[in-house]
Amino acid sequence: MEEKKIVNEQDEKEQFMTFQCCNEIYGISLASVREIIGLQQYTSVPETDDYIMGLVNLRGKIIPVIDVRIRFGQEPLEYNDRTSVIVVQVKDIVIGLIVDGIEGVADIAKKDILPPPSVSSLKMQSRKYVFGIGRVDGAVKLLLDPDKLIHDIEETDLEQMSNTENEVE
Amino acid sequence: MGDDMITEGMLDMFIFETEQGLENLENICLDSKDNGEFDDDHVNEIFRIMHTIKGASAVMMYQNITTLSHKLEDVFYYIRENQPENIPHAELLDYIFEVSDFISGELEKIKNGMESDGNADDLIEQLDAYLGKIQGNPAGAHAGDKGTQAAPVSVPAEKPHFYIAPVASERSMFYLIDITYSKNTDMANIKAYIAVNALKGIAEDILFTPADIISNPESANVVLEFGFKIALQTTAAADEIMELVNSSASIEQVEINECTSEEFIDFCTDAEAPISSAGEILMEPIEQPTVLIDEQKPETIVLTEEEKDTFAQKAKSEKDTGRKKAPKSPGKRTAVKKGETQSFISVNIKKMDLLMDLIGELVIAQAVVLQNPDLQVPGLDLTNFQKSASQLSKITSELQDAIMAMRMMPLKNTFQKMNRIVYDTSKKLGKDIELEVVGEDTEVDKNIIEHISDPLMHLIRNSVDHGIESNEKRMELGKTEKGKIILEAKNESGQVWISVSDNGKGLKREEILAKAKSNGLLGNRSEKDFTDKEVYNFITLPGFSTKKQVTEYSGRGVGMDVVVKNIQEVGGILDIESEEGKGSIMTMKIPLTLAIIDGMIFSVSGTNFVAATNSVTEFIRIDEQQVIVEPDGEEYVMIRENCYPLIRLNRFYHLEHGKDKMEDGIVIILSHEDRKIAIFVDELIGEQEIVVKPMPNYIKKVRGISGCTQLGDGSISLILDIAGLVTE
Repeated sequence: MEEKKIVNEQDEKEQFMTFQCCNEIYGISLASVREIIGLQQYTSVPETDDYIMGLVNLRGKIIPVIDVRIRFGQEPLEYNDRTSVIVVQVKDIVIGLIVDGIEGVADIAKKDILPPPSVSSLKMQSRKYVFGIGRVDGAVKLLLDPDKLIHDIEETDLEQMSNTENEVE
Repeated sequence: MGDDMITEGMLDMFIFETEQGLENLENICLDSKDNGEFDDDHVNEIFRIMHTIKGASAVMMYQNITTLSHKLEDVFYYIRENQPENIPHAELLDYIFEVSDFISGELEKIKNGMESDGNADDLIEQLDAYLGKIQGNPAGAHAGDKGTQAAPVSVPAEKPHFYIAPVASERSMFYLIDITYSKNTDMANIKAYIAVNALKGIAEDILFTPADIISNPESANVVLEFGFKIALQTTAAADEIMELVNSSASIEQVEINECTSEEFIDFCTDAEAPISSAGEILMEPIEQPTVLIDEQKPETIVLTEEEKDTFAQKAKSEKDTGRKKAPKSPGKRTAVKKGETQSFISVNIKKMDLLMDLIGELVIAQAVVLQNPDLQVPGLDLTNFQKSASQLSKITSELQDAIMAMRMMPLKNTFQKMNRIVYDTSKKLGKDIELEVVGEDTEVDKNIIEHISDPLMHLIRNSVDHGIESNEKRMELGKTEKGKIILEAKNESGQVWISVSDNGKGLKREEILAKAKSNGLLGNRSEKDFTDKEVYNFITLPGFSTKKQVTEYSGRGVGMDVVVKNIQEVGGILDIESEEGKGSIMTMKIPLTLAIIDGMIFSVSGTNFVAATNSVTEFIRIDEQQVIVEPDGEEYVMIRENCYPLIRLNRFYHLEHGKDKMEDGIVIILSHEDRKIAIFVDELIGEQEIVVKPMPNYIKKVRGISGCTQLGDGSISLILDIAGLVTE
């Protein structure tokens, strides 16, 4: 019985939105994806990190967009027709991720998700956002933790922000 | 309140209507306080308000409110009919305020789900005494004995009562019910209505006479005299009816007779006869909508199954939206309420947000359609298209304006409440104080209004209590003018400034310093080092009060720190200015997260920026020679003998491809309070009303930028924080 239960759990599938970026296929949990939009005209905000491209208007809501390539420390690619924005929500933060192209949705069973290898061809910067590697039909998807993608900057930034706010007062 | 007929929707509506009525009442009273009397319109209006409250509270079975409002109505009935002269006006105002306070207090209890258990007996007695007093003071030719009240006043303009054919089911029975109340019953009409209410649960169709039991208080006499007759169509048995009806102690006798449908219909046609022939209807019929009747055609007292359903649905839908709703009465009602030209409906704010977002999307979609590359085919005739397109643009921009305006509310209501506070407080303290209100039409987001009401009240009370000296003291000091408080609101550089200024004694620097010293707040700075502002700010610290005597209104030292805390909650600050002996000005400066401001849009290397139009002093094109460069790289511009620090936005924000030559771009002079700076930008885009939105949290605070906004074409623009830039 015990064993069977474990197997079941292992068989449980999670859905990931997969996309291309820097010649790799990444996956991000579908639960955190709000929608996918085409890249629209964005307004850049001065004095922000280089991967924050600026602000876009999502039906009256103003959300920041970040370029995942730059976030991963890669050279930016010129935007084209395939360039898409995945709008993700992590807690209260809604943010757009600019990616090279959308691939689709993949069902990946828990047992097919392996921890990231310690030695990787990936550059360090993108590795720390990957929580696992999913195997689907022989292909490999790098599974991203959206929380980390947003979070590690957020903490320091929030601190900075509250500091500056206090100064203003 | 144990009545199933009373739904939450009805309760909401009752509270809403009553609150509105009370608000009107207070406004009328405050309007007339200096006139020394009510004019006819006011008397009628007050009479009408009390009448409505009485009717509505009776339906909701709040006995205490009913009797109290009934009493005040009596007083005004007397005043209206007899027009006595020399009514002690101030005393009357006090009574009205007391009544209004009592009812508001009860409403508050009801809103919090408690029983309305207040006892108004004392107040009623006082009102009785007052009524006796003005009655004993007969003036005018036709006034006189108390009997006048019962004399016919006008010919009742009876409305024909229509009969709507009942939906008879086979098992339906028809009954004629005759209820006799004991002769000494108070408000028999209301009791009768309760009986009707009880029967509605089982009725397929119900008719009663006299029909105007709710709208006409005099019908109580008719009920007592002729009995209350109900025609009922129902499937229930006579016993059941008896049980429902015969619940009140004051019922003497109930007769229930089964009848045929013909007799039932006859009843309707005859219904009017006994009333009109008896000539007992004494009052001018006033269309008094009560909670229930309001929902139907006022002429019709027939509640068909269908109508009941609609009512139930309405009540339900009101419950669903979970909000108080304005009464949706037909035009008839508005015609009667001549004093009130605006009607309101409360809507869930979430729906408004949704609408706003959708309109934003519509604007973008429109831009996409109108600037579609498919239209760029050479030689394409677009004349008609352009015509329709401009029509579309016009409508969408109006739509945008409308939704933005919807979120904003004028400060009028909040300010009007202050009238009452000044009136009450100054009266109790025996000070002669005048309140002047300026800029009450300034609009503020609804959320913010809710937050500033309390602090504003504190400030006003402080001014009345501490600020303005007593009448004697003023005489002594040779201040000839009346004590005056000015309440002012204005839009100032993306903020709303609400100031309370008085011509009283002002703050005493020395006294505050001494107190601060004894509290150990000065540290090791010498007293002279403190600027006036710093000194005045001491009074906003918790527990800091220089007032030696604690009064009912202030002096406990809890006032100002609470004010400041409240203001800070909405991100505002309190600014204190004062001159000893002349008075002080307390200004709440509240930034508006959602304010609509007029913005001047300009671009720097492709990025759009907005500055609040009221902070823009001028645009000027200058040449390189006018720029003075300091050795440390700071730049200044010299314009007409004035020197302004210059910020080149492109360099300031390290934007590439910006125009670098002074001749190519344009300089904007911005002012904040009394400081001015010049900024250099590429080009001006235009002016537009904008809605200020905060920067998304994700993006860290950028210096010199206070928020962002969405322009009409859907693009986003950054709002310059002029105060921040100026002080940099």
